[in-house]
Amino acid sequence: MTAVAMSPRRLVRRSARLPWGAAVPFAAAGRLLRLEMRRNVMIWVLPLLGALFWFDAYRTAMSYPAVWDLRASVMPDKVVIDFATFVAGASAWMGSRETRCRAADLVTTTGRPGWARLSATLAATLAWVMAGYLACVAVLYGATAAQATWGTPPWWPVAVGAAALAAACAAGFAAGASFANRFVPWLTAVAVFGLEVAGFRSAVGVSDGYRLLSPSASVPGQDTGLFHPYLPDLAIAQVMFLTGLAVAALGALGLSRAAGAGIRLRCAAAAVAVAGLAAAGVATGLVGTARAGPDGVVIGVLHDAASDHPVPYTPVCADPTGVPVCIHPAFRPYLAEVTAALRPALSLLAGLPGAPVRVSEVATSLVASTNQQAEVAGRSPVYDFAMPPTPGSLVRTAGESFTQSLQIAFVTTVIGGSAPGPNGPETGDLAQQAVETVLLRQVAPELTNDTLGPPGSAAAVAAIGRFAALSPAARHAWLAGHLGALQAGRITLEELP
Amino acid sequence: MNVEVAWVTRRFGRNQAVTGVDLETGTGVFGLLGPNGAGKTTLLRMMATVIAPSSGTLRLLDRDPGSYGPRREIRRRLGYLPQNLGYYPGFTVAEFVEYFALLKEMPPGRIPGAVATAIERVDLGTKARAKLRTLSGGMLRRVGIAQAIVNEPGLLLLDEPTAGLDPEQRVAFRALLRELGQRATVVVSTHLVEDVGAACSEVALMDAGRIVFHGTPDELTARGEGQGAAGDAPLERGYSAVLAQARS
Repeated sequence: MTAVAMSPRRLVRRSARLPWGAAVPFAAAGRLLRLEMRRNVMIWVLPLLGALFWFDAYRTAMSYPAVWDLRASVMPDKVVIDFATFVAGASAWMGSRETRCRAADLVTTTGRPGWARLSATLAATLAWVMAGYLACVAVLYGATAAQATWGTPPWWPVAVGAAALAAACAAGFAAGASFANRFVPWLTAVAVFGLEVAGFRSAVGVSDGYRLLSPSASVPGQDTGLFHPYLPDLAIAQVMFLTGLAVAALGALGLSRAAGAGIRLRCAAAAVAVAGLAAAGVATGLVGTARAGPDGVVIGVLHDAASDHPVPYTPVCADPTGVPVCIHPAFRPYLAEVTAALRPALSLLAGLPGAPVRVSEVATSLVASTNQQAEVAGRSPVYDFAMPPTPGSLVRTAGESFTQSLQIAFVTTVIGGSAPGPNGPETGDLAQQAVETVLLRQVAPELTNDTLGPPGSAAAVAAIGRFAALSPAARHAWLAGHLGALQAGRITLEELP
Repeated sequence: MNVEVAWVTRRFGRNQAVTGVDLETGTGVFGLLGPNGAGKTTLLRMMATVIAPSSGTLRLLDRDPGSYGPRREIRRRLGYLPQNLGYYPGFTVAEFVEYFALLKEMPPGRIPGAVATAIERVDLGTKARAKLRTLSGGMLRRVGIAQAIVNEPGLLLLDEPTAGLDPEQRVAFRALLRELGQRATVVVSTHLVEDVGAACSEVALMDAGRIVFHGTPDELTARGEGQGAAGDAPLERGYSAVLAQARS
């Protein structure tokens, strides 16, 4: 030991009665937080989270069209699923630090209450989680901003993801601090993973209202937020629920350190825990009243009627064959592909009475036919269609390409029936299906029988053969005289030329 | 008196670790001697407000640690080095001492100076930026002492503080103890009688949970004279004589 750096007299003066409790609490808390952040295990977890984000959430989002709400949906969905396990485990590791390092006696003898001490550690852990999460949001939104042609970044999905990670972090920390066992961090991570899997499964496989509390339930449709405002009802309830869980975990942390604490601290911890549970309970109750609206989940108490009004926009159009093709400006990058896909079919049906004079993209919810996501309506027929999954999209479920989806929907909708799918005829009569099959083979020769489906009976095969044997001009001439009757279902297979 | 212990007992289940201890001490270095299992650590943990007595009364720094507010005041002016120092391996020496300065609610503006001073006093200035996981046992012990003295405590409780220190460090540490004892109450629990002889102005000897001797080191030495007690040094012979008498 070396000589004392300051004089004993000065030390004596300093060690006189110390009214330190009142001294600059925020500055001290800031220093403590900074120290905890500098030595936090979450720093080492961030690269892993970054890699997970890159390989899962980011790649999935980039496969979607540059629609803000659609891409933002990966934050509560993919990012939370990927991050929560590691966040909870690392947080439990930090929460169990005093016990693991056998420092409990030492820290107990300090003036700062246990709840405040642990809250600083939790805050530092959470700060790193949020920093990593917001960095991911910045990357995703930055990339989307460079590509998007319409709209503004939505923040509710970001808030849901943040609340979910905060809940995982707080719950993990409380578990680590409450159960003095070195296996707790690992068990906590496994438990959170199990909850995620259960939540995800319930989100995709069960139809009861409470599944909606899972953040992974909020994957929107492709044109969400384009034609009608994004409905934040469910997001508000989810944020309330998840934040409530986080706050309740913080209160539980305080109660776990209540022994020996002052009455005010005990009451504060209890109040925080009750407030968190109340918020989570209220959110659960609200979600129980949710109903599926055409543009998203509607929760009456939280619903803003202004959200029901359409969002004004100016469509972007092209006129490849004298028939304008108009789509939402958010899908501007796909206009060329849409017009190229529809050009052969539009040429084929051009000039026919009852054929569309305009092609217009509308909201999925507005299209009456849920099967084909398109309809022909109006005295001057307008072909309304919903944008199918765009090229490269991981949300694609059917076997057709983007172009084929557009072509099949157009031909089958205009003829009035439905193209036979892999499971055989679905709607429309046999004559309509035969004509659709022939026209689709002409429009898109690459379509196979797997896509078009088996022709069915021998009579249908014969009718298809006869109609296909006609020259294009002869088919056009026949359709010019019979399209109305064919659409109305008054033509039989035998009547096909 | 900074420490007033009146008829304090502490039980762990059916085991009575401390039995009816009466003790008073003020400024100075107080040595707590005794064989393993005598109850020294338990008594020290009660004084450190880690555990409460099962019965009896305890007043520290003129406050009752049984109540939350006074206990918090005591803890702000307390320095404690447990027998087994728990530490965070990823912290540096300076960070660890700063951490405890913050937990002891020192004014933030005074912390950097206090941390530097505490580290210098235990001769770890060159290791201030070293991670705790890289330090030897003796260095860790000194880090523990630094965190205990960083807040210039009115009551400093050290449980086996010289364990793991080399002779040179031990000598320096005794000097530090004497210096600290000029303005604070320093209670040193040890089984090394030479520490007591060199640094303590007052000493108590515990055996089987009871205090069997309370006096000055010279008085303890005197108890061993002419008794034929075992020991290489006068103080050791006094120690042995008192223990033998207590057990007879």
